[in-house]
Amino acid sequence: MVADKENVATASSAVEGEATSKKAAKKQAKEALKAAKKAESKAANMAANGEEAGDAVDVSAGRYGSTGLIQSKEKFEERKFVSVNELSQPEYRDQVVWVRGRVHTSRAKGKQCFLVLRQQSSTVQCILAVNERVSKQMVKFSGNVSKESIIDVQAKVVTVPNKIESCTEQTIELCIEQLFVVSLAKPQLPLQIEDASRPENADDPEGLNIRVNQDTRLDNRILDLRTPANQAIFRLEAGVCRLFRDILTAKGFTEIHTPKIISAASEGGANVFTVSYFKESAYLAQSPQLYKQMAIAADFDKVYTVGAVFRAEDSNTHRHLTEFVGLDLEMAFKYHYHEVLHTIADTFTGIFKGLRDNYSREIEAVNQQFKAEPFKFLEPPLILEFAEGVKMLREAGIETGDEEDLSTPNEKLLGRLVKAKYDTDFYVLDKFPLAIRPFYTMPDPNNPIYSNSYDMFMRGEEIISGAQRIHDPDFLVERAKHHGIDITKIAAYIESFRFGCPPHAGGGIGMERVVMLYLGLDNIRKTSMFPRDPKRLTP
Amino acid sequence: MYELNTLLPEYDIKLPTCMYPMKVLNNSRATVDVKADASNGLCNGHANLLATSAVTSGELTKKVCALDLDNLSAQIQKLLKSSNDVDGVSARQEKVLKQLQELKEQMANIRASLGLCQKGAQHTVQTSLRNGGLREEPLHDIVINGHPNFIPYALLALKNAWKDLFTIDVKIFKHSTVPDIGKEASEFEKKLAQVKVDPSKPKVNVSLIWKNCEHTEMISSPTMYVPIYGEVNIIRYLGRVGPEAYRYENSPNCNEIDAVLDICYQLLRCNTSKSRAAMLRALNLRLGKQKYFGGDEISVADIGVHSSLKRLPAITPKDLTPTLTEWRKRVQLVTQL
Repeated sequence: MVADKENVATASSAVEGEATSKKAAKKQAKEALKAAKKAESKAANMAANGEEAGDAVDVSAGRYGSTGLIQSKEKFEERKFVSVNELSQPEYRDQVVWVRGRVHTSRAKGKQCFLVLRQQSSTVQCILAVNERVSKQMVKFSGNVSKESIIDVQAKVVTVPNKIESCTEQTIELCIEQLFVVSLAKPQLPLQIEDASRPENADDPEGLNIRVNQDTRLDNRILDLRTPANQAIFRLEAGVCRLFRDILTAKGFTEIHTPKIISAASEGGANVFTVSYFKESAYLAQSPQLYKQMAIAADFDKVYTVGAVFRAEDSNTHRHLTEFVGLDLEMAFKYHYHEVLHTIADTFTGIFKGLRDNYSREIEAVNQQFKAEPFKFLEPPLILEFAEGVKMLREAGIETGDEEDLSTPNEKLLGRLVKAKYDTDFYVLDKFPLAIRPFYTMPDPNNPIYSNSYDMFMRGEEIISGAQRIHDPDFLVERAKHHGIDITKIAAYIESFRFGCPPHAGGGIGMERVVMLYLGLDNIRKTSMFPRDPKRLTP
Repeated sequence: MYELNTLLPEYDIKLPTCMYPMKVLNNSRATVDVKADASNGLCNGHANLLATSAVTSGELTKKVCALDLDNLSAQIQKLLKSSNDVDGVSARQEKVLKQLQELKEQMANIRASLGLCQKGAQHTVQTSLRNGGLREEPLHDIVINGHPNFIPYALLALKNAWKDLFTIDVKIFKHSTVPDIGKEASEFEKKLAQVKVDPSKPKVNVSLIWKNCEHTEMISSPTMYVPIYGEVNIIRYLGRVGPEAYRYENSPNCNEIDAVLDICYQLLRCNTSKSRAAMLRALNLRLGKQKYFGGDEISVADIGVHSSLKRLPAITPKDLTPTLTEWRKRVQLVTQL
C-alpha cells in the first residue's frame, strides 16, 4: 500500500515523457522487492512454525525474520535489553545481550553483513557472518533491511583490536545471533540522516558538501530530529525548562497557569491573533503579563509560568516565531526592584551552571555539527547601567542618544564590547530610558529620564526585558494618559491594583531563544521542535 | 620665471550678510601696517591673510616676492614693540574667560533646574585635581583577569597602602571557566571586602575576574584592546593613575624602581629553587641598607616585591636574608596581606 502511493507521487511529479517507463520500471522493482519480502517472511514464518523451507535447509530458521505486529501478545521477559551507550562497560564483555535500535547503515557482502545500529545519539557496529548457526539466507535478509527500520538483535559483545572510528561505541562490536524486524521503514527516505547530521564547516574543501536545507528538514522533522545534534538540542532544552523550574521553586516561587485565550490584547493591539470564540472573537495571549501581576495582587508573592505565547508578527527573521514557549516570572519585593533583578540574573547563572555541569555531552554533540564558542558567563552576573553602555558605544565611535533605544546593530556591538572587556556572553543592562518603555514601567526616582527597567543579553541579543511595574492605580492612570492610551480599554488592569498590591517586578524569557543563544545556533527554528512562523503551519 | 596670472577675477568679493565679520585681532593700526607692508612687496602674505579678511586676493598675487631680510626683521621688531597689541589680546582673553565662566554657571543652573544627575563628570574632575590641573582622560573602569592559583595580591596591597589617599573599588566575578576558586582566593576576596571604601576619595573601579587564563592580565578599554600582562605591569599602571606619592616616573629612583619590578616579574617565572634564590639575592643587593626599595619612602617597588613573595609559597622565611625579613615586616604593616 505504502509503496504504491509512493509510486503515484513520484510518477506524477516526473517529466511526462519518461514518466511511463520510469514508473513501470519502478513498479516492477517494487513488486519484485515485495515478492521477495513476502517469500522471505513466509519462509521465516514457516520456519518459525517448525517446518523446513522447501528449497534449501536454513540452519538459522527461527532466528531471524519479522516479529510481526507487536500487539502485546507475548512478554519475552527473559530477554534482557541493554542500551547501546552502556555496551562498552566491562560487565557486558563477551556476554550475549539484546539490543533494540534503528538500522543506521547496512552493507551485505557475500557471506558477511555489517550493520550500524543506532539508538538516539549512540551507534554501534554489528557484524553477521555465515557460520554453522547463521545461514546465507539470514545474512541476505539482514542486508536487505531498509535504513531507519527498528530491529531487535541478540548478539555477543566483542572487543575489537582497532577503534571503530565511524561509531560512538568504538571499542566493541556486536556479533549478531538473532535478528528480528520490529518496524520497517520506507526504503526511500526524503533525507538521509547522515547528510542531516554532517558538520557544518564551510571552509573544509575536502569534506562532502551534501547539505539538507532547512525547509526539507522541517518538512520531514521526525527524520531530522533523529540526528545526534537535534537529539542533544531538545534534551538540553528540556534541561533549561527543568532548571528554570527547579531554581525558582527553590527560591520559593509558585508555578501558575494563565489563560491563553483572552478577551483583550495584553500588550498593544497590533501583533495579536484573533480566534473565533462562539459568537464573538477572542485573542491568543501575547504574554501572561497581566495574569502574573494579578497573581501578585492575589498574594502569591512570587510566581512563574511556562507556556505558549503567541505573536502575530509577520517577520521572517532568524529569531522570530509566531508561537514560542515563554518562561515568565513575577515577584513582589520589599523596597528595591534590584531584589528582583538579582533573582532573575542569578536564575540565569544557575541555569548556565546547570547546563555546563550536567549537559556537557549534549553541548558537545551539538558542537560537533554546529561549531560555536562555548558560552561564557560571570558569577555574579555583570550588571551595567544603560548610560554606561551608551558610553561604551560612544567610545567605539557610535553616535547614539541618551534616550534612544539600542538598535539591533548597536545591541550586537555592545555585546561584542562587553565580551572583549569582561569576556562574558551574559550581562544585564539596567536603568533604560523611560521614553522607550511601556507605560506601566516605574520611573527612576532619582532621574526622570530613566526608569526602573532592565534587559538581559546573551551573545549580544536581548533575551529578557523586564521592569518594576507601577502598582499604584492613580499613577498608572497618569502614565497611561501621558502615553495617550485609552483608559477605558485597560480599566480592568488598573482596577486590579485598587485593592492593594505590593510593589513588584518581573520579566519574560523566550525559551527557544535562550537555547539558541546558549548553543550559539544561527536560527531559532533549530531550537523549536515544530516551529511556527508566518510561512509554516505544518507539521 | 614666468609670472603667474591671477586665477581669480579682479573685483571685490561681496561678503554674505549671514556671517559675522571677524574683528581684527591686532588693532586697526597693525592692519594698516600690514597693508603697507604688503604693498612694499614683502613676502608676508601669510600674516596678511591672518590679519584681515578684507584684503583682495588680486592685490597679493600682483606683488613680486622679493626676500628682503633686513626689511623683514625690521617688520618683526615693529610688531613686537607695539606692546598695546599684547595688552589688547590679554584683555580679550580675560573677557572670553569671564564669558565662559558665566556660560558654565548658566549651564549648571539649567542642569540643576532640570534635576539631571551630574554623574560621569565626577571622577574626571577628581583625578584632574590630583594631577595638578593637568587635563586627563576620564579613567576607564578596568578589568583584571587572574587565575585563582595566581592571586594578584598587589591589588590588596595597594588598596591597603592607599587607604587614605585613593580608592580602588574592586568588584569580583567568577568566570565560567573556573567552577571553583579554592580557599586562598576566597580568603583574598574576604580581605579585599574588609577594606573600607571612602566615597570622597578619587577612585578607580576594578572588576577582578577569576578566570582560567595563563597570565594575570588587565584590560582598560575594549575598543583599544591592548591587554597589559603581568602583575608588576598592572602595578605600574595603577602607580600612574594612583595617588601622587606613588607616581615614580619623575622621581630620581625611577630606574631603580623599574629594575626591582622587573626582578619581581622574573621571580614569578622562576621554576627552580636555584633561580629563585638568585633573584632573592638580587633583591637583597638592591635593598642594601635602605629602609625601602629605592629609599626611605615606600614605593610601588615594595608593593611588587611583597606581593610576589606572597604569591610564591615555595619561598619560606628561611630563604630570606635578615634584611629582607626586616623589610618584609615593615611593608607588611602597610600592605596587610
